[in-house]
Amino acid sequence: MRVSLKMWFLSIMLSLALASPALAQKFDWQQAKGTQLRVLLNKHPWQGAIEPHLKEFEALTGIKLVAEVYPEDQFRAKVLVELTSGASSIDVFMSMPAQEGLKYVRAGWLQPVDEFLKNPALTAPDYNWNDFLEKTRDAMVIEGKIIGPPIQVENTSLMYRKDVFQKYNVKVPTTLDELEAAAKALNGKAMTDDGQPGYGIVARGKRAAATSQFAAYLHAMGSTWLAPNREPIFNNEDGIKALDLYGRLLRLYGPPGSENNHWYEASSIFSQGKAAMYTDANSLFPVIEDAQKSKVVGKVGYALFPRGPKGQYGSTVAAWGLAMPKTSQNQKAAWLFMQWATAKEQVLAVQSEKGVLGARESVWKDPKGMAKVPADLRESLTMGSKVGTPLWNPPVVAVAECRDAIGAAIVVSIQGGDVRAADNKAATDVKRIMLETEKK
Amino acid sequence: MLRVSGGGRDRVNPWTYVLLAVLLIPFLFPLGWMFLSSLKSQVQNTAYPPLWVFSPTLGNYREVFQKNPFFTFTVNSLVVALGSTGLALLLGLPGAYAIARFKRTGIALAILTARIAPGIGYLIPWFILFTKAKMIDTYAALILTHLIVALPLVLWVMIGFFEDVPGDLIESARIDGCTHFAAFLRIALPLAKPGIVATGILAFIFSWNNFLFSLIIAGFKTRTLPIAVYSFLSYEEINWGGLTAAATVITLPVLLLALLVQKHIVRGLTLGALKG
Amino acid sequence: MRHLGTGWSRFVERHPVPVFTLPSVVAVALLMAFPVAYTLYMSVHSWYASSLTSPQFTGLGNFRRAFFEDDRFRNALWLTVYFTALATALQLVLGVSLALVLNRPFRGKGLVRSVFLLPMVATPVAIALVWMMMYNPTLGVMNYLVGLAGLGPYRWVSNAAIVVPALAIVDTWEWTPLITLITLAGLATLPIEPYESALIDGASVTQMFWRITLPLLRPTIIVALLFRAIDCLKTFDIIYVMTQGGPGFASETLNVYTFQVGLFYFHIGYASSLLVILFALVLGVSLLLIKVRRGAW
Repeated sequence: MRVSLKMWFLSIMLSLALASPALAQKFDWQQAKGTQLRVLLNKHPWQGAIEPHLKEFEALTGIKLVAEVYPEDQFRAKVLVELTSGASSIDVFMSMPAQEGLKYVRAGWLQPVDEFLKNPALTAPDYNWNDFLEKTRDAMVIEGKIIGPPIQVENTSLMYRKDVFQKYNVKVPTTLDELEAAAKALNGKAMTDDGQPGYGIVARGKRAAATSQFAAYLHAMGSTWLAPNREPIFNNEDGIKALDLYGRLLRLYGPPGSENNHWYEASSIFSQGKAAMYTDANSLFPVIEDAQKSKVVGKVGYALFPRGPKGQYGSTVAAWGLAMPKTSQNQKAAWLFMQWATAKEQVLAVQSEKGVLGARESVWKDPKGMAKVPADLRESLTMGSKVGTPLWNPPVVAVAECRDAIGAAIVVSIQGGDVRAADNKAATDVKRIMLETEKK
Repeated sequence: MLRVSGGGRDRVNPWTYVLLAVLLIPFLFPLGWMFLSSLKSQVQNTAYPPLWVFSPTLGNYREVFQKNPFFTFTVNSLVVALGSTGLALLLGLPGAYAIARFKRTGIALAILTARIAPGIGYLIPWFILFTKAKMIDTYAALILTHLIVALPLVLWVMIGFFEDVPGDLIESARIDGCTHFAAFLRIALPLAKPGIVATGILAFIFSWNNFLFSLIIAGFKTRTLPIAVYSFLSYEEINWGGLTAAATVITLPVLLLALLVQKHIVRGLTLGALKG
Repeated sequence: MRHLGTGWSRFVERHPVPVFTLPSVVAVALLMAFPVAYTLYMSVHSWYASSLTSPQFTGLGNFRRAFFEDDRFRNALWLTVYFTALATALQLVLGVSLALVLNRPFRGKGLVRSVFLLPMVATPVAIALVWMMMYNPTLGVMNYLVGLAGLGPYRWVSNAAIVVPALAIVDTWEWTPLITLITLAGLATLPIEPYESALIDGASVTQMFWRITLPLLRPTIIVALLFRAIDCLKTFDIIYVMTQGGPGFASETLNVYTFQVGLFYFHIGYASSLLVILFALVLGVSLLLIKVRRGAW
């Protein structure tokens, strides 16, 4: 009798002990079973990588996914138009908080996810919010509220032709002065497959699109967009120097017509072998290393963005994430999707399969996750994400309008016009735009 | 050499044909280039000087159809174009007849203001309206919006064709006791048939080609072909072969349609100008 | 068919015009009513499409801003006029000349008409992309062709100085055939008598052209001009697809600018006032041309 009591006691303890981890893992993925989610995705490497896995989500949760994919311009316009109407049926959408976050939050369109994150009934215990790189977590916080999880991280970095630098014995630049010297030295030298000459450097010049990449130059010079009192200061002396440098580089050592180049054109020029250097987001690396379309596969180095004359870092950190409109009727289900898409397993999958630069530190440390990512890219990305600034766009409400105003100054610089006047005008315009759109 | 047309049996100068060829080539060239490029690979398309002779590939077409639900796009474009054309004809033919027969140019001009207004002005109000009515991403919404282009077109062109219908025929029918409607249905319509065909096809073509309205009003299920072409400018580099293949697929139907009834279309387009 | 009864039939007989035209008028009115009202209302308000703040009444503030404070607007206005004038002038000269050249007997008139139709009916978006490819400064065939004539290379739509002419070329390619076809139709209806008497009087070919043909063609040409001017002022597809208003703002016509303000910045109030201005511009030009045509009669 005593033996059986002891055994009875032991077996209870044992089953309890076995049950606890099981209990902890017993997160109910099926709690929103039967709902249908409308998810809007931007045509983007991440979307391309996650799409084949979507049916796994449907199987896991019993939630039906209707995913709509649009190219970036249309995607942005579509999201904007739908949210404005106040009657949108979107449940989740890809979002770049630094682009539109402030505007959406101030307009009252977004549902913050803080409460979901804190609720153990809604968030899987192994989700681990702190596993996301710090700067990406920061990027997803607008006015104190978390608007969603990050899905991808990128820096403005320096991409360069290792073979060309070697051939002409030029040092890989680590400062802005060296950058200009290298561009000058390599401009016009033979560098394509068939020995044709190429440009020293290529970068975006197309108005608003160039603004985000110009941000790196701006910060490396020691300036930034707004002062602590939210007055524009990107037209101070350092800012003007940065603007002048950017335009000069493209005008003297870059391809003609740079002011019309978005990253589609710039990356194309670089991957066809026609430029020695390219400053842009390093998330473009799947494009540059695409064996089917690129002629420079395996020849490209990925370096930290050069530092400025005062030692300032220029790297910017940008993150794409997922966000939930306040008007969503299926918020629980939407949060389940947002979690799942950014859980370690999925991040590892997209990173190891397609080289998408995910935002989880654990995946960066995982050799499987690093399989497709070159070592120097990993180094510069990690470093850049630590020292980089998230201000690749001016932190305003009317981002699109301000980007155009600043972009106009960039174009003037590329065309060799009066840089000081253009920069001052852009600052005046930005100030006016902020006044109109930010009455609080 | 100026000659009033309507000439009889003049001998045709063979140099005329040479001249014709020279004049026509610039108008054909971009379309021809579009087709040629659609048969080239990416490497061939990025060659310079451009390749005139090359070994063609159907890979781009395969890619276009595999990577995109082109069938869905085509069906959508078809449904919307047929719908708006049909509706425009239904509503517009009686109106054009009355305006032509009773010479009410005032009404015609009033309706033409619809043609003058910029398309963008319709977009946001319509979007808000359709969203509240839960009609976004429906064929009905697209058909209605395309109507704003099709209806004035039908009126403008058909007024001219109806004016061509001999007044005496209608008068004698009226004397025989025909109602207005019967005269319209049994005399005017059959006589204006070539015009109706031309107008219908023109309206169809313009609906098929419409980009702006579809961009904003169409949802995921009702996307039309012009949007599909635009999506070839994706995050990857510009895929020239795929782009031109998609462009060819999209323009081919309207080109063929136009060729089929070119005589009537030309008459329709020019009639509107001459009588206006 | 439902028997409508004598009351209705009599009504139709007495008032055919309202009955026949009502469907069209109602349809157009319904489709236009809300947008017109909305645009007019918004044009005197300021609203950024926020769910939290409602539109603020600003009276003529938007209009004042456009004309006196907004450089981009004045730039857009100028570019709209520039593009329209250039494109329509090119099309007119080219189109009429072509018509005169083609106004002679030959076999295959059908073929010519068909070829001419193609640029007009081809999907503008698709065409714009093809032209963009042809205009590519380093890989495009346009530079190759003009190179054969010893010209260029040009940066076409990447060059702020020539982007508008480059776009005008595309529009001209697309629509010159319309002018030609209209002119040809007009030439076909010209009376013979004036020419016969002129020949008897010993007039030269050029004299007959300038003194008889052109004046007689004037109404037709002006109508063609009217159509094209209205469409050019409102051109959107090719500009948006090819340059989005760039490089910088060098091709940002009023229509493209309004699209940006309305659908990217979501400044609904300001965009509405821009639309009112654009409409007034198109209306003004139309009325002007109609008046000129009446004068020609």
